[in-house]
Amino acid sequence: MTRRTDRAGGTYLLLMTLAVLFAGPFVWLVLGALKKQSEWVAIPIHFLPEAPQWSNFTEAFTRINFLAYTGNSLFLSATYAVLVTFSSAAVGFGFARLKGPGKRPLFVVLLSTMMLPSILTLIPTYVLYARLGLVNTYWPWVLWGLAASPYLVFLFRQFFAAIPKDLEDAAIIDGCGYGRIFVRIFLPLSRPVLLTSFLLSFTWIWGDYLAPALLLDIDHTTLSVAITQAYRDPHGNYIPTVQAAAAALYVVPVMLIFFFTQRYFVRSVVMSGVKG
Amino acid sequence: MVVEKVRGAAPAGALPAGRDAPRPGRRWSRYSGRTFYLFVSPWVLGFLLLTVVPLGYAFAMSLTNFDGSSSLWRWVGLSNYRELLHDSAAWSSLARTLVYTAIVVPLSVAVALGLAVLLNRRLRAVGLFRTVFFLPSVVPVVATAIMWKLVFNRDAGLLNAILERLGLGTVTWLVDPTAFYALIILTLWGLGGGMVIMLAALQGVPVELEEAAVVDGASRWRVFWHVTVPMISPVIFFQVVTGVIMSFQVLVQPLLLAETNSIGAVTNVPPSTHLYMVQVYQEYFANQRFGYGSAMLWVFFVIILIITLLVQRSSRFWVYYEVDRDQKD
Repeated sequence: MTRRTDRAGGTYLLLMTLAVLFAGPFVWLVLGALKKQSEWVAIPIHFLPEAPQWSNFTEAFTRINFLAYTGNSLFLSATYAVLVTFSSAAVGFGFARLKGPGKRPLFVVLLSTMMLPSILTLIPTYVLYARLGLVNTYWPWVLWGLAASPYLVFLFRQFFAAIPKDLEDAAIIDGCGYGRIFVRIFLPLSRPVLLTSFLLSFTWIWGDYLAPALLLDIDHTTLSVAITQAYRDPHGNYIPTVQAAAAALYVVPVMLIFFFTQRYFVRSVVMSGVKG
Repeated sequence: MVVEKVRGAAPAGALPAGRDAPRPGRRWSRYSGRTFYLFVSPWVLGFLLLTVVPLGYAFAMSLTNFDGSSSLWRWVGLSNYRELLHDSAAWSSLARTLVYTAIVVPLSVAVALGLAVLLNRRLRAVGLFRTVFFLPSVVPVVATAIMWKLVFNRDAGLLNAILERLGLGTVTWLVDPTAFYALIILTLWGLGGGMVIMLAALQGVPVELEEAAVVDGASRWRVFWHVTVPMISPVIFFQVVTGVIMSFQVLVQPLLLAETNSIGAVTNVPPSTHLYMVQVYQEYFANQRFGYGSAMLWVFFVIILIITLLVQRSSRFWVYYEVDRDQKD
């Protein structure tokens, strides 16, 4: 008995230490966001702020047009998420329930594109879009959304494949086409997957840096680009405390989504990884 | 595994020809084939237009001296590729990427597995620990970089503050040569996704199997190595493959960790974190050599393809599929 508790004690100690290491940067960010600029550079380092400087947060709002950037981010993320969720659901439905020549090789190609580094196509895509006059518009995200995401297609396919066939047979006898079966039967059944897909794709675009940095100018860009470039004093130096406050605000939506939908989030990560 | 299920589906033409049941026939199968393509067309079109075309365009650009803006670009044949052969900066950035991958992938897979094993035990507050380790992996890369820049800061950073309190002196983290370690630490911090996947895999290992080995007198350590690890080796393998591909294309982290000038546009990435994609990025946007950058991208594409295939090939030596393979060693 004692041996067992000893072992558990050791595990706890190890886990606590690691937890402190993993949580450290978060804590430091929040502490930094609450410090005075003079405290931030004080020697020796002040671990805790003397008095929390909430004004850093208001400065984060006023030094740049924080709300406008938030609006851009929200608009882009939501547009992409809605489009990609429905296009991926349709493609997932096709792979799960329909037959057609060349379906198997197509699916293999789809799975291999999950492995293809997206960054390889991003820069040529940027050049192409520049020639087509799509730079500094939100059209690229619409196109990406319409094109479905292999990852989400896979998610939907797994879900749709598990639905009993009787359901669609009955509908076919009633004279339903596959379009109606998809919209009237499969989509309503897949609410949890739709939600997962929406949240995942929303956070992808919310967190993306490279695409908006390449494709959008500073006025039309997203929060993720804005907070890395603004927040400087007249000498061009960063104001770390205000930037920390902005970064903390920027992470809040992702954290909220994560905390309220932890199960969905974790399940989708697991599904993508244990497919073997 | 996925493909297996698809294989089970009968081809459209081979529907059972019931004598009295109305046979769907040719017309029906053609209809259903068309419906299939209608449904998957978003992805097929997207793949062709947004993946195949850009890759082809990059290849076409790589045969020119295009500078990104002027319309006076000239066909230069393979000379970009010839130049790349002798470009020591490109090759050393590739070597650095290989070293980075060779360190980060095994380390993060091992740590993720270790954490998963710890969190697979019946402990109090185990859910809380899982959340703490998983959370960093959902933080957007921009916030991650800002956070770690604050932690790595020379004068005001958390790490140096702790080192100083311990009397160990301070380190200039984001400058050479330690910038490389800083990048690795930042990467390892985000291994929570892998941990969750390993945890799910561990929970799929039948308890009876491990118990049987214990009854046979095997030590915990032996059970772990000879029962648990082989059982979850397909998942470990998947982690290695995706890990390799991801760490090959690391770009944003070194860019955002680097110091920026007052406009925030041009970055001075320290040499030790100047990975291959950073080099490509510089060729495109700092040097305005779109043709040359495209050649670099294409060579990289081929290298990634070869390495992925090699890793996939190696799987037969260490990924558990059959019982007798395990008994050989």
